[in-house]
Amino acid sequence: MRKILSMLVLSMLYFTVFAQPQTITGKVVDKNGQPVENASVIVKSTRKGTSADPQGKFTLTAKKGDVLVISAIGFKNLEFTLKEQTSFSVVLENAESLMDEVIVTAGGIKSKRREIGTANTSIKAEVLTTGKAVNVAGGLQGKVAGLQINATGGGVNPNYRLILRGQRSLTGNNQALIVLDNVIVPNAVLGNLNPEDVEEIVVLNGSGAAALYGSQASNGAIVVTTKKGRRGLTQVRVSNTTTIEQVAFFPKIQKKFGAGGSGYGTDENGQPVFSYLENQSYGPAFDGVKRPLGAPLEDGSQDSAVYAYNDGHNKFWKKGITNQSDFSLTNGDENSTFYLSGQYANVTGTTPGDKYNRASFRLNGTRKIGNMVSVTYSSAYTQNRYDITTQTGSMYANMLNMPSNVDITKYKNWRTDKFANPNGFYNPWYQNPYFTADNYRSLQRNDYLTGNIEVRFTPIKGLGFVARQGIATRNYSNKNTVGAFDYTDYAEHTDASSKTDIPASVSDGSSYTTNLLSDLFAQYNLKKGDYSFNLIAGGQWRQDQAKYVGVSANGLVVPGLFNVSNGVGTPGAAESNFKARQMGFYGDLRIGYKNYLFLHGTGRNDWVSILAPENRSFFYPSVDLSFVASDAFEAIKHSKTISYLKIRGGWSKVGQVNLGNSGDFGAYYLSPTISPNAYGFPYGSLAGYTVDNVLISKSLRPEITKGYEVGFDLNLLKDRIVTNITWYSTKTDNQTVNTSVTPTTGYTVLRTNTGQTQSRGLEVTAHFTPVRTRNWNVTVGGNYTYLDNKVNNISADLPKLPLATYGSGAGSYAVPLQPFPVIMGYDYKRDPAGHVIIDPSNGLPSKTDTISVLGNAVAKNRVSFDGSVSYKNFHFSILFEYRGGYKIFNSMGSEMDWSGTGYRTAVYNRERFVFPNSVYEDPNKPGTYITNTNITVKNGNGNAGFWSDNINRDVTSNYVTSGDFWKLREVSISYDLPASLLSKTKFIKAATISLQGRNLFVWLAKDNYYTDPEYSDAGNDNNGIGLTGLGQTPPSRFYGATLSVTF
Amino acid sequence: MKKLTNILFIGLLVYGTSCKKYLDINTNPNSATVESAAPELILPQALVGTASNLNGFNSYGSQLVGYMANAGGYGGFGTSVTYKFGSSDFQGRWSTTYDNLEDYQTILNLTNDKLPQYAYFNAAARIMKAYSFQLLVDAYNDVPYIEALQGSDKLTTKYDKGAAVYTSLANQLDSAIATINEAETATGVTPLGPADVIFGGDAESWIKLANTLKLRLIIHAKDKTSFANTTFDKAGFLTEDALINPGFKRDNGRQNPQWEAWAFTYTLSAGNKAWMPNKFVFGFYDGNKLSDPGRGKAIYYQFPTTGVNQLGHEGNDVVSSPTGSFWYPGSDRSSAPGNTTGVLKGPDAGYPAFLASESYFLQAEAVVKGILTSGDAKTLFNEGIKASFKYLYALPGGTLQGDPDADAENYISENDGSKLVNFDLASTPAEKTEAIITQKYIALNFIHGHEAWNEYRRTHYPTIKTTPGANAYETFASTQSESTRPDRLPTRILYPSVEGSLNTANVPKDISPFTSFIFWALQ
Repeated sequence: MRKILSMLVLSMLYFTVFAQPQTITGKVVDKNGQPVENASVIVKSTRKGTSADPQGKFTLTAKKGDVLVISAIGFKNLEFTLKEQTSFSVVLENAESLMDEVIVTAGGIKSKRREIGTANTSIKAEVLTTGKAVNVAGGLQGKVAGLQINATGGGVNPNYRLILRGQRSLTGNNQALIVLDNVIVPNAVLGNLNPEDVEEIVVLNGSGAAALYGSQASNGAIVVTTKKGRRGLTQVRVSNTTTIEQVAFFPKIQKKFGAGGSGYGTDENGQPVFSYLENQSYGPAFDGVKRPLGAPLEDGSQDSAVYAYNDGHNKFWKKGITNQSDFSLTNGDENSTFYLSGQYANVTGTTPGDKYNRASFRLNGTRKIGNMVSVTYSSAYTQNRYDITTQTGSMYANMLNMPSNVDITKYKNWRTDKFANPNGFYNPWYQNPYFTADNYRSLQRNDYLTGNIEVRFTPIKGLGFVARQGIATRNYSNKNTVGAFDYTDYAEHTDASSKTDIPASVSDGSSYTTNLLSDLFAQYNLKKGDYSFNLIAGGQWRQDQAKYVGVSANGLVVPGLFNVSNGVGTPGAAESNFKARQMGFYGDLRIGYKNYLFLHGTGRNDWVSILAPENRSFFYPSVDLSFVASDAFEAIKHSKTISYLKIRGGWSKVGQVNLGNSGDFGAYYLSPTISPNAYGFPYGSLAGYTVDNVLISKSLRPEITKGYEVGFDLNLLKDRIVTNITWYSTKTDNQTVNTSVTPTTGYTVLRTNTGQTQSRGLEVTAHFTPVRTRNWNVTVGGNYTYLDNKVNNISADLPKLPLATYGSGAGSYAVPLQPFPVIMGYDYKRDPAGHVIIDPSNGLPSKTDTISVLGNAVAKNRVSFDGSVSYKNFHFSILFEYRGGYKIFNSMGSEMDWSGTGYRTAVYNRERFVFPNSVYEDPNKPGTYITNTNITVKNGNGNAGFWSDNINRDVTSNYVTSGDFWKLREVSISYDLPASLLSKTKFIKAATISLQGRNLFVWLAKDNYYTDPEYSDAGNDNNGIGLTGLGQTPPSRFYGATLSVTF
Repeated sequence: MKKLTNILFIGLLVYGTSCKKYLDINTNPNSATVESAAPELILPQALVGTASNLNGFNSYGSQLVGYMANAGGYGGFGTSVTYKFGSSDFQGRWSTTYDNLEDYQTILNLTNDKLPQYAYFNAAARIMKAYSFQLLVDAYNDVPYIEALQGSDKLTTKYDKGAAVYTSLANQLDSAIATINEAETATGVTPLGPADVIFGGDAESWIKLANTLKLRLIIHAKDKTSFANTTFDKAGFLTEDALINPGFKRDNGRQNPQWEAWAFTYTLSAGNKAWMPNKFVFGFYDGNKLSDPGRGKAIYYQFPTTGVNQLGHEGNDVVSSPTGSFWYPGSDRSSAPGNTTGVLKGPDAGYPAFLASESYFLQAEAVVKGILTSGDAKTLFNEGIKASFKYLYALPGGTLQGDPDADAENYISENDGSKLVNFDLASTPAEKTEAIITQKYIALNFIHGHEAWNEYRRTHYPTIKTTPGANAYETFASTQSESTRPDRLPTRILYPSVEGSLNTANVPKDISPFTSFIFWALQ
């Protein structure tokens, strides 16, 4: 890799032509000949430059062949190449401002901003990569109004959930469609895309904007365009980023009491019997005394621990290191452009032993063939490799269970240290996490190939035919292994031991997924008088195919040979295959009037293979209007204040077939199935099938999202203030619902069409540039999103839908006329005034019989603030994000209270206490309540008392906290090496050093001392947000440095 | 422009014809669909499913009725020792039983209008449906029955009274017997063949099972509800153990479910070591209450020095379970464990659906109570004891190790001073019932714990001491019991949380584990 790089660098030298610098003078004027003051003049690809004086005059040193870029607020940028002349004057045209910028919209159609009647946000490469996130989704966080990105877990390559404008589908897919170079790709591709390759990301917030992408577009779309190279520019860029990942947040635990428990009945004096074997933290208070830990070993020795707080649990997590090396090469001439890039990222995680690496190559380009044909191609190959433990969640859970006076880091050498070895490890219930990390491993490999070829044929001006073929394919394999461990007889059978041998096992899986997308469309433009017409008609064909094979074996015979042939008994084997197709025909017409009023309509009919023939065809239209008031009305046109005002609005209807998931594409979901492998079948030649537990309603149809949006884009003071405001409202009917039903039906899951959700909200973006001079550039701004997401109705049969629930029934639910989703669970029984009712005989409260709504799980308000300051060669940027107005259920709380590490368990010093805010029923006047000031709970300890009892731990509301947070998402500071320094090297055109951090600080609501509320215990693809647990590594912060050099 | 539209339109038409072909690719290549379901395919799996479910029911009952106690090395028994049940305790019993019932219901749906061709399958499914619903009523009292198992036709199901379900089940058993009897004389009837993994296709045995199940229903509930028909088919009652065995063996997922759960996995890892024998039941073997070295040695590891405990007693003095558990009597605990006597006989042993000994004890009680007018209670009682010895002395393949009949005789004579063994000493109907139920309690030890628990709640036998300070041989109530009852035991488990969250309107409210009763219970 490095060798190739240096060869490339060397070969580039031959193409670089050197010329002598000379002094250039010039004058900048507007089209009326008036001087343009403070215009900036920069030699392209360097930081060398100057600014014009009040008379528009400037002087600088440059050489023949340099490209000068001249820019000023309110004017279009002007670029030209220096020839022989040394003195000249340049005329800047009035900026068409942002409104004439062309962006890629649905279907790869390029449209001017002014024409578009729906909300969208464009994120440029440099904004995306400020924080040097390894993952594109991470780099987008907080940058787009209406887009909520949650890292649903930690780890070496975390998953991100991308939701635009709230959730629409009750149990189906709500994640935004990802489009890479006009090809619809699986979400995973985004996580494996080199962020440095991205030219621009356009976020189409609403379904209307995205309608041309077909039915999946009801969730909005994230359209990623990669770099293609530029005409006349040859450039090589290399960079290296080193990032450190550090665990940033730990659950708050009690620091008063240590290991042991006294829940073993009472001795002859009535005193509780104490056990030092107990791993719960219901032992003695921290007093500095050393006490035995665990059972004695076979040799008679015994582990011990001092009863004092030790933060060993926190030190268990390592500093992860990410090393990212990039190179790119761009080149272009009159007929073709070319972009080649490579990246190698090497990550070690915060979990000891976790490793991940990713290598990617990209080749993009364009080519004109004759006058009528042009070809665009893009291709990327990415491979990643994981070497991680499968048990991060259980290790985290185990450690939160372990008493805080025990320093876990001293158990690192489990192979050599007798107290760390599983045989001698003090805790009979939980493994030494160092052993766990070593013994439970997963190797995974993914190879992704994505590519797209587009041929455009333009026989006459205004008419074009475009054919496109895209492919996204993933090839995956994994091998998960568990090493054998045979305990000594002593360890296994000593009193109070529950250790049992661990048999070795292996599971091996492989799969591929291939998505093919073909587009064929014609585009026709016509201008007649004041009117312009732009018509597109075409068709799209899509095929998704996947295959999965997995085998496994247990009880491996030869130690260390992790092969399925090495097991005992019949190996496990499973196979599944999926194929789905979709085709659509669409038309798109845009009528413009005087370049300030645009009416735009689309219509598309889809046919999908995954529905029954009578339901497989569905049509959906959209219409939007864009009115550039600042061009239409003379008064605004000449306003000094308003530089741009566009009013827009649109209505759309989009159908979505929300069956299945990204792995099976919803194929074969129409018929209930029977399974041959229940209870060990087949037994020899005797086959047996069981009826599977999914009920399917007779006629599944697409779910339909209808909605409108209105908004305006307003720029003030020569675009020093840029604002976009959008209000939208959508309703989604005929939901395809996969929901749990009572097992008394004979089934557990029902798949049907029912219910309606609603999503309304406001998206505001505003940026202000108070200072823009040659040396200073200051921009501050941010975005605000208000979201009112709720369930309007479900069905009479289904009073509520569980989206993700724990065994107790607590979890995330969809409930009619409630926000979507809500957290439901158990609460304490309360009097009408809300006080907790206790039993006066023992001071204990009681739990409600059924679950109730405990809070809204979706953030109602999201705000982000960004700021950037440039001074000469220094650039500084910062991004804060806030989410508020919602609750989360921290399911780890119950586990921590069980183990006695929970902070709550020590607030009364483990003594009897009066349950706060409690009352008891007046024995003389049933139905009235007396405030409880003196009746204490009968046992304020744990292990057999209040804290570890169900009456505390099963009450969901104890662990429901505010989910509000502020995060310092990104900070970066960079310094461009001065041109004077670089010119000495002869071949380096630019060099930048930067320091950056991501997720540096988080400020949580006071009652949330558990974990990052962004996490979702329900996983990436589940709509049951609002739940956090122990399945994820603790939240991390990232900080690092980058050196990038351009040749 | 117009031309372009035309071209596209024609293209669309041409495409339209092949469009159907392009899209007709939704046939499932991975799983068989319900259209392929046939009674022959569903029945064997459903029966093995019942065996697996019974293993769960046995654990639940064995915990509550004094067969099992918490073992050393484990903590956090929570409601298992306090009896303050929540809706998540034992919730698998509910969902697993209804899941299993759905398979029997599918067979009924497939065969109800294909009689007599599928008469045997229909009858077997009907009998097993009654069997499983009885498990539910005995655990939960009121359960969805009439509206249950109807799929999307009834997404929330009304609860029926336990007594009403009982009378309907008895009728269903009658109708199943009638279906079999009609089939015996009809032609073109599909035999059960290998799909019958209990009786190998023997129709008469199915009638006997139906008769015996009906007898159990009537004995449980005759004082609380009335049955339309209290006569029994001439085929009589079970005289052999009804064992479910599809060919269990030491292999991935194919072991006897109880062996898999408690003894060894197929890779020879230890099963569940968190539980050990309870002193209360052990006292019926080790001489504390009765002396029974024959069955004691057949069942327990290192009898009579087997590790035992009292439920609820935790501490460092409680020994931990050996690999393979205290219920596996064999000494080979590493290379090829199995092929032994008792309860955990081996990975290839059949799983009892109904023990012959229970059949005899039911008949004995029926004679005492006048439900059966023929037969001799003492003979049936002694047959019950012998049948218990016979089951426990059998190796997985069915061959007997030792002489169960002789040892049973010895047992009866060695304990002839006890009216729990010597039926002649039991003079009153109450004493006779106590002897019968106590012997049934011993016979069902760790096999059908749920039925022993039912019988305790129905009769309060075996007798336990309810005075404070009763020792571990005198009561099986947990030392950590929070029950408010005199016997310090619970009365029932709660409905599972899934009913509270998904069938909220119908699920009975205010159920207490200490004050709510199964309808046939003695309060």
